[in-house]
Amino acid sequence: MSTIASFGFWSFVGIVAGIYTLFALGVQVQFGFAGLLNFGHVAFMGIGAYTMAILVVKEDMNMWAAAGCGVLLAMLGGVLLGLPTLRLRADYFAITTIAFSEILRYVATNEDRLTGGSQGTINLAGIGKTAQYDDQWRSFLGSVERDLHVGGDVAMLIVVWTVALLAVVAVWLMMKTPWGRVLKSIREDEDAAASLGKNVFAYKLQALVVGAALGAIAGLFYAWQFSFFSPDDFAPLLTFFAWMIVILGGLGKAWTVPVGAIVFGVIFAGTRFFDFPPFSLLDSTERAYLRLIVIGLVIIGLMLFRPQGIFGSRREMVLE
Amino acid sequence: MFMQLLANGLVTGSVIALAAAGISIVYGILRLVNFAYGDYMTFGAFAGILFNVKLGLPIVLAAVLAMAATALLSVALELVLWRRLRAKSAGFMSLFLVSVGLALVLRHVIYLVAGPQPRTYAVDPYKVYVIGSARLSGAQGIAIVVSAVGIVLIGLLIAGTGVGRMMRALADDLPLAAVAGVRTGRVIVAAWIVSGLLAGLAGVLAGLVQTSFDPQLGFTLLLPIFAAVVLGGIGNVYGALAGGLALGLAMELSTWTELAGGVNPTYKPVVAFGALVLVLLLRPQGLFGRARVV
Amino acid sequence: MSTPILAVREVVRTFGGLRAVDGASFDVEQGSITALIGPNGAGKSTLFNVVSGFLSAEGGSVQFEGRRIDRAPPHRIARRGLVRTFQVPRALTRLSVLDNVLLAASGHPGERLSGLLLRPARARAYERNTRHRAHELLELVRLDKHAQDYAGVLSGGQRKLLDFARVLMTEPRLVLLDEPMAGVNPVLGRQLLEHVLQLRAEGGMTFLFVEHDLDVVMEASDRVIVMNEGRVIASGTPADVRSDERVVDAYLGAAPPT
Repeated sequence: MSTIASFGFWSFVGIVAGIYTLFALGVQVQFGFAGLLNFGHVAFMGIGAYTMAILVVKEDMNMWAAAGCGVLLAMLGGVLLGLPTLRLRADYFAITTIAFSEILRYVATNEDRLTGGSQGTINLAGIGKTAQYDDQWRSFLGSVERDLHVGGDVAMLIVVWTVALLAVVAVWLMMKTPWGRVLKSIREDEDAAASLGKNVFAYKLQALVVGAALGAIAGLFYAWQFSFFSPDDFAPLLTFFAWMIVILGGLGKAWTVPVGAIVFGVIFAGTRFFDFPPFSLLDSTERAYLRLIVIGLVIIGLMLFRPQGIFGSRREMVLE
Repeated sequence: MFMQLLANGLVTGSVIALAAAGISIVYGILRLVNFAYGDYMTFGAFAGILFNVKLGLPIVLAAVLAMAATALLSVALELVLWRRLRAKSAGFMSLFLVSVGLALVLRHVIYLVAGPQPRTYAVDPYKVYVIGSARLSGAQGIAIVVSAVGIVLIGLLIAGTGVGRMMRALADDLPLAAVAGVRTGRVIVAAWIVSGLLAGLAGVLAGLVQTSFDPQLGFTLLLPIFAAVVLGGIGNVYGALAGGLALGLAMELSTWTELAGGVNPTYKPVVAFGALVLVLLLRPQGLFGRARVV
Repeated sequence: MSTPILAVREVVRTFGGLRAVDGASFDVEQGSITALIGPNGAGKSTLFNVVSGFLSAEGGSVQFEGRRIDRAPPHRIARRGLVRTFQVPRALTRLSVLDNVLLAASGHPGERLSGLLLRPARARAYERNTRHRAHELLELVRLDKHAQDYAGVLSGGQRKLLDFARVLMTEPRLVLLDEPMAGVNPVLGRQLLEHVLQLRAEGGMTFLFVEHDLDVVMEASDRVIVMNEGRVIASGTPADVRSDERVVDAYLGAAPPT
């Protein structure tokens, strides 16, 4: 029976919550602030992770430079996605964004020589060789551990959350600017914003790109945390988790995202501890199913009973 | 090879068409994009397994029972869930997210109850129909005939029957229909019943055509189905049927080697998405949809 | 000589087979207050949408200050100085009243990422000025007490005033008012009208408004344009138009205006 108080386990949950904070922050910018229904957000995570891994293993690039390229490529991906699709009506846009992320996942699965195929990044260096992209990361983390006198887990936790909180602050500052004000107006009423001279399309594209950058950074941390990944790690399910986190915390505020991520992490991980009957009758695969059933029920319950999330105001919902 | 691909395209296309029609019917009236629809289909497919494999009933009877079971599920969810959400004036996004949550729940309950192992229907695997240069398996043959009948029936239902007319009235203007005395609650339930029947049918047919399937069946088909719905103009049932057939044909024919080597078959869904994006670029309201009004 | 500030020529626009605007042509003189009237279904709102860029013209042309705008997107037309209000005021309900007006400022460097990153001081200064002007405008329409409230708490009439303040913030040269008096109590309506007259007198702003209240039309406008069934059937001074047979026929043929 696993101890509920196991530190290693909870620091793992903390790290994943940090990664999800970055990831969901992207959704918050795109939807909570700009009103964009991007359901393909996981694609940006994948682009960030894969670009970095491929450049390091195949082109022998410096990992930090490769990471930068990953973020830039994801932003470019946002532009390429947005240019043809942002003028579509909202529900069509949503469907094309899912198509976007699935197409990328298909390509990643099938183009073995580029991405290692369905086996994942282990295959990047070709058959028979195991590829690693995170040597530089390991040494960086090692130096953090030494400087702060902490263990591996804690070091990662600190680094992830430092970046995540910096991102939260950055987004919060951005939204207080006149630029942020325009984004919010577009969320409220595009036509009113256009009638006031705002180029709605350009702003939406910018929101998409900012969100893409955040998604890519989340992808980088995902890659570094798990040392290995495959296309199936970037399935639409992750996008829905991000949406759930944003709704859970409350739409339209930057600081509610980390709270939502932590609550989500606790719910998700907490089901691991159903060690008492009748749940102990299930094996671990079955408990994995149960976990997703619980997540689904939480989403439904949220929308039924508290659609404004933990920190949203009922008032704002009424004004909608 | 062309004839074979054409036949395959019709099979795939008709399954997608039926499912797309099922989604469109509900969307037209309730403006609800039901992301759990794929899992309604999976439910139907597995109900079919229960009746056909576990209980040993002939496939046609099993399919009919599976359709009924899915229709029941559909109505139950309307009464327990969707109706309550509408009473709270839930917006488009809330409904979509609930359908996402529902999809998760349905799929994993099926996983829990039925397990992840692949299932196959009890049909003769050696039966082959030969039409010209195309060979259709027994399952494919059944699928084409049944879907053709299904498509015609749906068309007749919407165009010809009283219920169909009322559904169209609600799709046009729900509040107006309510004020005009139409029993909207009942028509909505009727729409969910039809949607559920179609989901069950499409699920069983998809299961037949794929030979073996697991609980991911419906969800993997969901995106091509949505593509068909959007292609046809969301809410337009005839458009959904046409869109489904068109996409099915496009997907299969794209692998034709005469077309510059043809597309790698594993990329078929990508062809469906690509076709969708192309159409939307040229005609943002879909093939049969209505243009936006400010 | 004077080029009309707005020149509409043979504009055509259909909706599902119906020709909502069927070859409409008219001019609006700079500095005038022009009314656009006609029975319901005459095509006035559609024409407004076409002129302001929310709908494309399927035929004909629209020129603003001598330049064609019929292919331009609405935000660019607004930036050129042609702005509009909506029949049902489109207040941004979950933003504050002040934010609503601040948004109308044009050329704000703080609204662009490049401006924020490269010239933050300029952006800050511009924001200060904008706030100052916004407060002045809110005082003008007597909404300054509500500056920090959500725009969603304003009444219909107050939202019309907010719409008006927003439009003024853009420093327009031609303002299209879509039924400014609809749903507004007479006192408020008076206020609006006085603002319009003052703005025209002081700044040479041109106004084109759709209105059903014929008293207002007769009193406030220099010129009246009458539409029916998608075309302009008469134009001239209020007195001319009132006695024009074609106009009387058009109104008698349709439901009488309130």
